[in-house]
Amino acid sequence: MTRTFKALSALLSYPTAELVAATGAISEAIDAGGLVPDRILDQLHALIAELATTDLYDAQERYVLLFDRTRSLSLHLFEHVHGESRDRGQAMIDLKAQYEAAGLEISASELPDFLPLFLEYLAVRPLGEAGEALGQAVHILAALAERLRKRKSAYESVFCALVAIAAAKPKDDDIAAVLAEADPDPTDLAALDAAWEDEPVTFGPGANACKDGLIARMRAARRPAATPEA
Amino acid sequence: MSHFLDRLTFFKRTVDTFSDGHGIVTSEDRRWEDGYRKRWQHDKIVRSTHGANCTGSCSWKIYVKGGIVTWETQQTDYPRTRPDLPNHEPRGCSRGASYSWYLYSGNRVKYPLVRSRLMKLWREARAIRTPVAAWASIVEDPNKRDAYTKKRGCGGFVRATWDEVTEIIAAANAYTTKTYGPDRVIGFSPIPAMSMVSYAAGARYLSLLGGVCMSFYDWYCDLPPSSPQTWGEQTDVPESADWYNSGFLILWGSNVPQTRTPDAHFYTEARYRGAKSVVICPDYSEASKFADLWISVKQGTDAALAMAMGHVILREFHIDRQATYFADYVRQYTDMPMLVRLVKGANGKLVPDRLVRACDFTGQLGESNNAEWKTVAYDERSDAVVAPNGSAGFRWGEKGKWNLEEKESSGRETRLRLTLADVEDEMADVGFPYFGNIEHDHFTGTDHQSVLVRKVPAKKVKLADGEALVATVYDLFVANYGLDRGFGGDNVAKSYDQDEPYTPAWAEKITGVPRDQIITVAREFALNAEKTNGRSMVIIGAAMNHWFHCDMNYRGVINMLVMCGCVGQSGGGWSHYVGQEKLRPQSGWTPLAFGLDWNRPPRQQNSTSFFYAHTDQWRYETLDIKEILSPTAPVGPWDGAIIDYNVRAERMGWLPSAPQLETNPLTIAAKAAAKGQEPKDYVVASLKSGNMKLSCDDPDKPVNWPRNMFVWRSNLLGSSGKGHEYFLKHLLGTSHGVLGKDLGEDGRQKPLEVAWHDEAPEGKLDLLVTLDFRMSTTCVYSDIVLPTATWYEKNDLNTSDMHPFIHPLTAAVDPLWESRSDWEIYKAIAKKFSEIAPEVLGVEKDVVLTPIMHDTAGEIAQALDVKDWKKGEVEAIPGKTMPQVTVVERDYPNLYKRFTSLGPLMQKLGNGGKGMSWNTEHEVEFLKHLNGVVTEDGPTKGLARIDTDIDATEVILSLAPETNGEVAVKAWQSLGGFTGREHAHLAVPKEDEKIRFRDVVAQPRKIISSPIWSGLESDKVCYNASYTNVHELIPWRTLTGRQQLYQDHLWMRAFGEALCVYRPPIDTKAVKPVIDRKPNGNKTVVLNFITPHQKWGIHSTYTDNLLMLTLSRGGPIVWISEVDARKGGIVDNDWIEAFNSNGALVARAVVSQRVKEGMCMMYHAQEKIVNVPGSEQTGQRGGIHNSVTRAVLKPTHMIGGYVQQAYGFNYYGTIGTNRDEFVAIRKMANVDWLDRPISDQPAQTKPSMEAAE
Repeated sequence: MTRTFKALSALLSYPTAELVAATGAISEAIDAGGLVPDRILDQLHALIAELATTDLYDAQERYVLLFDRTRSLSLHLFEHVHGESRDRGQAMIDLKAQYEAAGLEISASELPDFLPLFLEYLAVRPLGEAGEALGQAVHILAALAERLRKRKSAYESVFCALVAIAAAKPKDDDIAAVLAEADPDPTDLAALDAAWEDEPVTFGPGANACKDGLIARMRAARRPAATPEA
Repeated sequence: MSHFLDRLTFFKRTVDTFSDGHGIVTSEDRRWEDGYRKRWQHDKIVRSTHGANCTGSCSWKIYVKGGIVTWETQQTDYPRTRPDLPNHEPRGCSRGASYSWYLYSGNRVKYPLVRSRLMKLWREARAIRTPVAAWASIVEDPNKRDAYTKKRGCGGFVRATWDEVTEIIAAANAYTTKTYGPDRVIGFSPIPAMSMVSYAAGARYLSLLGGVCMSFYDWYCDLPPSSPQTWGEQTDVPESADWYNSGFLILWGSNVPQTRTPDAHFYTEARYRGAKSVVICPDYSEASKFADLWISVKQGTDAALAMAMGHVILREFHIDRQATYFADYVRQYTDMPMLVRLVKGANGKLVPDRLVRACDFTGQLGESNNAEWKTVAYDERSDAVVAPNGSAGFRWGEKGKWNLEEKESSGRETRLRLTLADVEDEMADVGFPYFGNIEHDHFTGTDHQSVLVRKVPAKKVKLADGEALVATVYDLFVANYGLDRGFGGDNVAKSYDQDEPYTPAWAEKITGVPRDQIITVAREFALNAEKTNGRSMVIIGAAMNHWFHCDMNYRGVINMLVMCGCVGQSGGGWSHYVGQEKLRPQSGWTPLAFGLDWNRPPRQQNSTSFFYAHTDQWRYETLDIKEILSPTAPVGPWDGAIIDYNVRAERMGWLPSAPQLETNPLTIAAKAAAKGQEPKDYVVASLKSGNMKLSCDDPDKPVNWPRNMFVWRSNLLGSSGKGHEYFLKHLLGTSHGVLGKDLGEDGRQKPLEVAWHDEAPEGKLDLLVTLDFRMSTTCVYSDIVLPTATWYEKNDLNTSDMHPFIHPLTAAVDPLWESRSDWEIYKAIAKKFSEIAPEVLGVEKDVVLTPIMHDTAGEIAQALDVKDWKKGEVEAIPGKTMPQVTVVERDYPNLYKRFTSLGPLMQKLGNGGKGMSWNTEHEVEFLKHLNGVVTEDGPTKGLARIDTDIDATEVILSLAPETNGEVAVKAWQSLGGFTGREHAHLAVPKEDEKIRFRDVVAQPRKIISSPIWSGLESDKVCYNASYTNVHELIPWRTLTGRQQLYQDHLWMRAFGEALCVYRPPIDTKAVKPVIDRKPNGNKTVVLNFITPHQKWGIHSTYTDNLLMLTLSRGGPIVWISEVDARKGGIVDNDWIEAFNSNGALVARAVVSQRVKEGMCMMYHAQEKIVNVPGSEQTGQRGGIHNSVTRAVLKPTHMIGGYVQQAYGFNYYGTIGTNRDEFVAIRKMANVDWLDRPISDQPAQTKPSMEAAE
């Protein structure tokens, strides 16, 4: 088992007393694994230390706010790939089939694309394959890292670590596509206005592509999923 | 040589090509095809629907693959309709088609959530205390209580386990019950029809506890009080298929293609068939496109338009020429022949008084039973005054004469006179109130006098107390329309061009509609009805009902329909499709929902009065009673504030109260026993002496606060809560945006009956619990959020008034994450409650107050006058002059056992509805076999089980006449006892039909005709309301037993609405006090604030769905006209702010030619949680459409104990109108998203972070 993945999965789970008690073990597992580059290790330890020392209620409140209540930070990967598209259902089925092919059945009351669950799956796969699989979601992970960085959240480190471990490196275009979809900078009024502006509709050849951000998100939802193949 | 052995006998060789080379055989790998094949593969299809409050009840196929819902499509297997009638299918709309997204949405509530500060306090307290003591230690310490209540809406949730969260709730409920009384535990859930088992789950828990179920229909302002006033029925309407039978369709304030999407095809088909259609609405709506004529009426003046049309119809079809069908119809089916006393009013002029009753005559016209409740008319055959069959007096206390046969009670045939014009003793000068001269900044009036005197043929009759002058309702009704009949006198018109109320020329001024349009529509509407025996229909929408004087809008239209004989005829009548969703198996459902199998009566409260009092909106009241009092009001003080009228109504037993008494109702029986008195006598004596007080006298006193509140299946705070900011300030006690001052700060007149506290309470609720599947605005403000199953994850039933089918919700997949169905959630709370209750509660005696109820023998309470026991005018008699007092036994430790079994009262007392009752032993026995019996020891052993949601559906289906033919026959027989007529033939052919849950899962099933409803379901007719009244001669449940156009209750006369009149919108005075507050350099325009239903959501559901947001502008929007935009310097898509004393909201402007100058439209229920920046006015996050509204109550809606104007849950009562409101609209200078932690905000603004996320 690649315990680094298991440790990162735990870090992204809802903070409980059990998790707090295990922070030492998590820390050791990550150090021992040697998969996380040094530059990220410090950050990661900072998060672990935070979890170990912060009041548990505050940690839970923060987690609910970040990951349960903020759609742009959802830990369900397909939220960022398919949104409310119908393709999401099929994508989940495919992912579930992949787990089943590996002899794993989901026992938690969770969806197949839940990141901590996915990481646990990677933990029991050969490292090479895991890195490959992770690579296919790397642009989402990078985008989430970026959003967390903007929020000055220590959780950023987990995503940085995952990006570093992934076989593929994120393409700027792909990250940009995810980042374009939501989470506007609240202080940039001009950008907000642009995003909201309705343009005159033109038809036929030479028609302008609609620059509406929402339309872009709809399109994004129709793109094939960058998830591991079965 | 033979090739026999070389030839293949059983095979042929694969060939490369065939069909002359057009075909080719290949054998490559075909797995690539999986790409599209797999896309449409599925493991199973499950039938379900969407329980949004949309009246759709559409059949959908939910596709499930690998345990995951993949998509949904419309189902197309509805039973065929009869030949010549289009089929129902397919039903559905874009909103429903996007529902599966909700299951896996990032916005789904996945775990039980608790405000972390509360969680921390609870765990600390619980570590050393028992559950109830732990709760007490939190809420009795003001600092601890404030720690979480003041943070409502500011995020800070943590997850909890079901075990823990149900314990907190149960402990809070038990503490509240013990300390203050169970009526301080309240629950709000709307529209039972949309998922009736889920509704019943919470209602059953609350009712077994003694808690209070809150009404919705009146609060949503979807209840048209004109319907109970006229017909004694809450709302009963034709199904949408019946539009097809119509020859002339008026859509009045209704936007069928947009808001009745699955039904709209019948509208299209009716037009293909040749029906004409007129659409009346201020804006160019989607429906306007369907119209042969679009009438753009000034918003809020519909009554003036309807009155002018009525003027034309009366002139051309009743006066200058009498259409025979119309005359016969109004004589037999309306109160028009009934006699009204004329008496001298306060100003010395004759005014119409109450209806004459049999008791007014010496010898009571031979009526010994209920002579006070038998109205009279002048019979042409006998040339005498008679008491015709069918009035309320015949319904109660005797049998067989409550029918609409043209007979009087001795059995003699009658022909009642409509007019006394040929037999009059004099032409009396009668005064009629006129309100069209009231000045209003934004509505045109005329300068006619406040009392219009007109000539009315009258007769002198000898009554027990001397000679009296009487007139028929018909003659008064016609005079009221200002028609010159050649009687002389003023204030009447011969020509349509005269400027007299209510001519087309007069209406043109008020409504802006050209007179020739009014004349043409009225004429064609009536002509079609005359030719087809009443196939003219008006489809009417919320736009008409959401005004303070909505009754006038509605009664104007009802009058048109009635004078043309359209009500109760196929293809004709009144089609009010607003938010009711007919609960078809109602009488099977009420025992389950309100625990009637264990305790009767349940506590039920009208929400509008409740929220008016407990969100303290009354403290900001600007409407003076004098502004709405009639110039012809009978002598009386008519003093006090609006809330005073409500308080009087409560103590006279007209309206319910919650909480009821300052005293804990669990302690009363013991106190009475100590004094050796019956609890009922003790309550009467204590109330009279002042030792006991009604809670309504002092809603701000802490013992009278509601303490625990459940909200389920509803987005109370994000959608329906009129006066949103007052909810936040007073009920929740959190940050709010109320901008105005209360009566105390302003030094205005305070109420007479209600105690005033200079400091208003902030935060009455100890605990707010919301059940939802998505994080709605209400969830954001709750202390506890419970994740509930979606409509694809539970079993339930759904019915609608739009079609006659009963439809299931079915669990396609198990509830995701930690979510559970509402049934399972309340079951779990009940279980936990039973476990911990013994700490403070055992078997208790609960003293319950109930108002005088419609459709019971008590509904005939005060016949001739209004007398108040508190003022010493009359004895305090429970159920007659004050609320009924009943002792109910609660078994708190066994609440769970009671919840999960069918109690013994069904066998002991039977079942019934709407005044009928029948034996139900057979059905209860049947349920024991179907659901099994309780085998565990205890008080419920041997009773039928109700464990699962499917068990619950079977209880409903077995007990209801609509789904059990055997019960239908019993119900019709019960009705036959009242009417003396045989009705059972309507159900006998279906006696053996029993619809089970699995049947409706297989295919939607048509309901069985039942006397609970006034229409029939058969192969011959579509469902049409009042059909059985007209065709089976069953009386309407009104005073006269007929369609009641004259409302003679004292308060109706006092407030000028005995007959229909035009009344301009009220002035809420909300804009002026705040318009110059905080200038930002931009101009303001003052506009009427209209909140119609939208296209991209069903109320607030779907408005957080990206697909729907993409189709709209993706956030809150307000539509304004080009002219008003120019005045305010606003261009399309600008951020604007709308504000008044009630609060402020921000939105994008949509500048459109569609909108009429002078009004703005904000589609209601756009969630605060999606794309809403901060308000410049309040410093809070934007606000919702209800941030600028405040409920204003109307005294005529408080009337009770008066037949059709007697209280019923969701039947009658005050309504939450909001369209008379004006707002100042201003372009924003600074758009602040408040997307920072609270500590980073500018000092004066402490917004809710939550909403930004």
